[in-house]
Amino acid sequence: MVKSVIAKTHQQALQALHDRPHAIVAGGTDMLIQNRSHTGMAIGYKKSVLYINLIESLNYIRDDENHIYIGANTRLETILRSNKTPAILKKIIYEMASPAIRYTATLAGNIANASPAGDSLLALYAMDSLVEIQSVKQTRKLLVSDFIQGVRKIDLSSDEMITEIIIPKEQFTCVSFKKVAPRQSDAISKLSFAGLARVKNGIIEDIRIALGAVFITVVRHREIEEKYLGSTIDAIKDQADNILKDFDPYIKPIDDQRSNRHYRKQVALNLIKDFIIQL
Amino acid sequence: MKDISKSINKVDNDVKMSGQADYVADLEMENMLYAMTKRSPIAKGKIIKIDYPELPENYYIIDHKDIQGKNIVKVIFDDWLVFTDKEVNYIGEPLMLVIGPNKEKIVDIINHIHIVFEEEKPLFEWKDSVLDYHFEKGQGSQIFDAADHVIKKTYTTGYQEQAYIEPQGFLGYPEGNKVTLIGSIQCPYYVKNAVIQALDETQENVRIIQATVGGAFGGKEEYPSLIACQLAVAVKKIKQPIKLIFEREEDMSVTTKRHPSKTHFEAAIKNNQLIGLRAHVGIDAGATIGLSGVVLSRALLAVSGAYTVDHLDVSGDVYRTNTVPNGAFRGFGAPQMFFAVDMFIEHVAKALQEDPLTFRMNLLAKQGDKTSTNGIFRDPILMPEMIEKAIDISHYKEKLNAYKQAGNYKGIGMSLFFHGCGFTGSGEKEIIKAKVRLKKAYDKVYILVAAVDMGQGVKTTFRKLIAYILDIDIEQVVFNNPDTDYVPDSGPTVASRTMMIVGGLLARAANTMKERWTEDCLTVEKAYEQPDYIQYDEKNFVGDAYPAYSWGVNVVEVEVDPVTYQVDLKKSWSVYDVGKAIDERVVLGQADGGLAQGLSYGYLEVMNHQKGKIMQKNMTDYIIPTAMDMCDMETHLFENPYAYGPYGAKGVGELTLIGGAAAVAKAIENAIDKPVYKIPVTPEYIMELMQDDND
Amino acid sequence: MTMINFKLNGIKKTIETDPNRRLLDVIREDFKLTGPKEGCGEGECGACAVLMNGHIVNSCSVPLANVDEQAIVTIEGFSKTPQYEVIKDAFAEAGGVQCGFCTPGMIIATQSLLSHNPHPSDEEIKIGLSGNLCRCTGYNLIIKAIKIAIKKGEGLW
Repeated sequence: MVKSVIAKTHQQALQALHDRPHAIVAGGTDMLIQNRSHTGMAIGYKKSVLYINLIESLNYIRDDENHIYIGANTRLETILRSNKTPAILKKIIYEMASPAIRYTATLAGNIANASPAGDSLLALYAMDSLVEIQSVKQTRKLLVSDFIQGVRKIDLSSDEMITEIIIPKEQFTCVSFKKVAPRQSDAISKLSFAGLARVKNGIIEDIRIALGAVFITVVRHREIEEKYLGSTIDAIKDQADNILKDFDPYIKPIDDQRSNRHYRKQVALNLIKDFIIQL
Repeated sequence: MKDISKSINKVDNDVKMSGQADYVADLEMENMLYAMTKRSPIAKGKIIKIDYPELPENYYIIDHKDIQGKNIVKVIFDDWLVFTDKEVNYIGEPLMLVIGPNKEKIVDIINHIHIVFEEEKPLFEWKDSVLDYHFEKGQGSQIFDAADHVIKKTYTTGYQEQAYIEPQGFLGYPEGNKVTLIGSIQCPYYVKNAVIQALDETQENVRIIQATVGGAFGGKEEYPSLIACQLAVAVKKIKQPIKLIFEREEDMSVTTKRHPSKTHFEAAIKNNQLIGLRAHVGIDAGATIGLSGVVLSRALLAVSGAYTVDHLDVSGDVYRTNTVPNGAFRGFGAPQMFFAVDMFIEHVAKALQEDPLTFRMNLLAKQGDKTSTNGIFRDPILMPEMIEKAIDISHYKEKLNAYKQAGNYKGIGMSLFFHGCGFTGSGEKEIIKAKVRLKKAYDKVYILVAAVDMGQGVKTTFRKLIAYILDIDIEQVVFNNPDTDYVPDSGPTVASRTMMIVGGLLARAANTMKERWTEDCLTVEKAYEQPDYIQYDEKNFVGDAYPAYSWGVNVVEVEVDPVTYQVDLKKSWSVYDVGKAIDERVVLGQADGGLAQGLSYGYLEVMNHQKGKIMQKNMTDYIIPTAMDMCDMETHLFENPYAYGPYGAKGVGELTLIGGAAAVAKAIENAIDKPVYKIPVTPEYIMELMQDDND
Repeated sequence: MTMINFKLNGIKKTIETDPNRRLLDVIREDFKLTGPKEGCGEGECGACAVLMNGHIVNSCSVPLANVDEQAIVTIEGFSKTPQYEVIKDAFAEAGGVQCGFCTPGMIIATQSLLSHNPHPSDEEIKIGLSGNLCRCTGYNLIIKAIKIAIKKGEGLW
């Protein structure tokens, strides 16, 4: 018999997870669809369900000198409206889904869903964000890029939950996001691109590129980015084709009902090139 | 005398806006059971045996064995089974209903029904031609002997899913010996006649009622007859109310869609003039023919588009494949053909190095010209003035030239089209034989027809029409949702016939009633009389296929993103001649909605199957436009009253969808400077076209 | 079975039921309010939209569990407000209702938009409607309706 727990406190949630494995439901916009049965029937979960959406203590955005801290229960719309939110994450949330979904879905939920097409993940990968994971026994932090291991695969034990997302504060002079979807809203991306750069006195101090829906997880390779740190803007523009060659082997999209691999790959490369040329 | 076109508030606004309107899923009855369908998982095979689980009390399985009448759904071609019995021909083919009080239990039973199939090799290629048509005009194929050269092109169109926001469904219940069904339908009498046949019942013992319909667009023209027959068989046996509502994925996977098409055109050219056309149209019927023959006919009749071509050699085939059966969708063959022909004529002009607009205007059909089947365009055709208007409001010529500049990915395109109003040929006279009834009871007048308001506003426009003629208040006119126990068969709500034909009959009835207005209670009935001039030989495609034509011009401006190849619709301008608008705002609403569907048929809506399985089966994967995708639309109406339509009205419902695909395809061509041969013109296809350059 | 307490159209309700049920089903079946509709079952079409604590949510994707101690307003409740009167007249004037199936959701979206942003730009209006699909109107007359509502409802939002 599937049991459900509606946690009102953080501790209650952790205790429930300690007692037995639960499917964790925050807003529900992914979980209810993925597990649904039929009209009029209760959602067909295969294990007990832990509802965390009412835990107010996990609904926050805070910051200090070096980091932004977003609670697991914070809705996308709240994050969009906060002046603490980094520009890249705002740009992404602005184009995600629809108002109804933005009022309901959580950033932590997006991470736990670990979809290769998850738009918000681009910002988190590009900003070297971390997740805080808690159980009754311990608290640990790891990079989102380590937490997500594959398609819907995450490094989360059955007694653990995401409690916070931590984003290091960085200044960028160029912030670019492109969502390539079948239509202009309310759509899953065919592919997506995030580009960040900090250019000072014509020198690339930092550059970060992340691509979504072209592999089983977000594509980001610091070792490629590092090759071009310290370049002048002109020099990096000359190198645009080499940058594409660097990324090429890591862009391995699939054919599906939304698009095909040729389009995804070509457009991903076009977007990288376009970003470089516009620096 | 007030102008009838002047808009009034729609009579059903309040009940719909407040959430009070009853769509079929909103209805409930005591002791109601639910029905769900068990379907074929394979595309082709024989049923060898079926193992059933033990059924608890009050749970039933209804299948072909329960059919007392014919196991055929009455659609034009008798090849649609109510419940498949021996062999399956498409994934999703319905085999039986499982019925009971609890859905969890029904799902469990369905999962435990084990069917053993002998799988056979399905056919997906267009090889099995089940219907073929051919006709000629003028010298026909011989004109090609006179040609100095021939230009050949092929155009393809994909599926289009109606995607009405309300899925299909019925609530069926017994009333004594009667089986009554309330459903989301376009054609109460189609459903009634189908159910009578399946149950082998009498007229009195089948009753069909229209619930409020949440969009239909042709998708609820013939398909509901299938569900109704299945449910009626169940209700007759079980004698309890049963509700059957499709969920979205089921609806999208198994209901009829617009026929995919492939049109091959050849133009006979002599002295740089187009002297003749040859065309072959193939459409994919899916697993059953149903009404595919009529869809093909309508496509073939539109073969020369908005143009007059004296010599035609026209043929077409309906192909049967092991895929979901295709059926009616707003336009009914015309959208496929107008995309192909309007693109082709433009491509021919470019090949001849002529200005496409001048070329097309010179070819435009004129009053008195012969149609593709040697009928006559008897009524004035205002297309030259309509085109001038469209050019003027859109700045078409300036933009066309400006956007030709390289490095600029903006484009503008114009489509020219018509729609034949009403049933093809003698359908009204021979098959439908529409009847309407107006009943006066003191100060109230009741409209008794089978016409369905599916959003196109007929509840408002019919009441308005009668009120105007009788010079009474619209509040005195009553028009309830059709119930076959109370209304005569005025025919189906299809083919853009509702205002022109049924409204025309109602107008005649109202005029008769007006003369006898002093009588307290009176009933006037009118039956369709075909104007003598409509003579059509359906078999040989000769004569006047339609009594009247509505005409249209669409102009759309786009911008293509050279990095992502995506299309942004900037704005559209349309001009239509629908004779006379019975309510201008209603017609403008239809214009916007039809154009949105036509445009997105042209660039956005993708549906394909893989080995017979529909790949886009929900609203996430089948992409229709959102508010952010649609552009501003400017629409102008030209008046051109038709003698036999009420106040001069002709057909509206389908016209506004016909031209969108060609307009947007041409705009994209103009933007990327590459010819387009298929729709939808997706970013993936645009990329292919633009990359061709680099090879 | 769990006890869920919430406000429905301004009135306190308590229901003891499976918290894994969708809010849409509870509204339609237990409370017999059929204004919110099922168009897609996956949070894509917006026909099921209701207001939760004043903003739009898709009730087909909200578990009843998450509604505990929250305030839900369906089109039935909203249709008793002065804001609805303005929106209703605006939709009629613009011609923004055809089959009507998307309409309650569109009206909920309008209220959610205007209550957070009383003077939206054209782009912001489109964003406000971006989660509500309509197949009949092509959206322009709905956008026109919202602009009329903004003008005529000055001070209400």
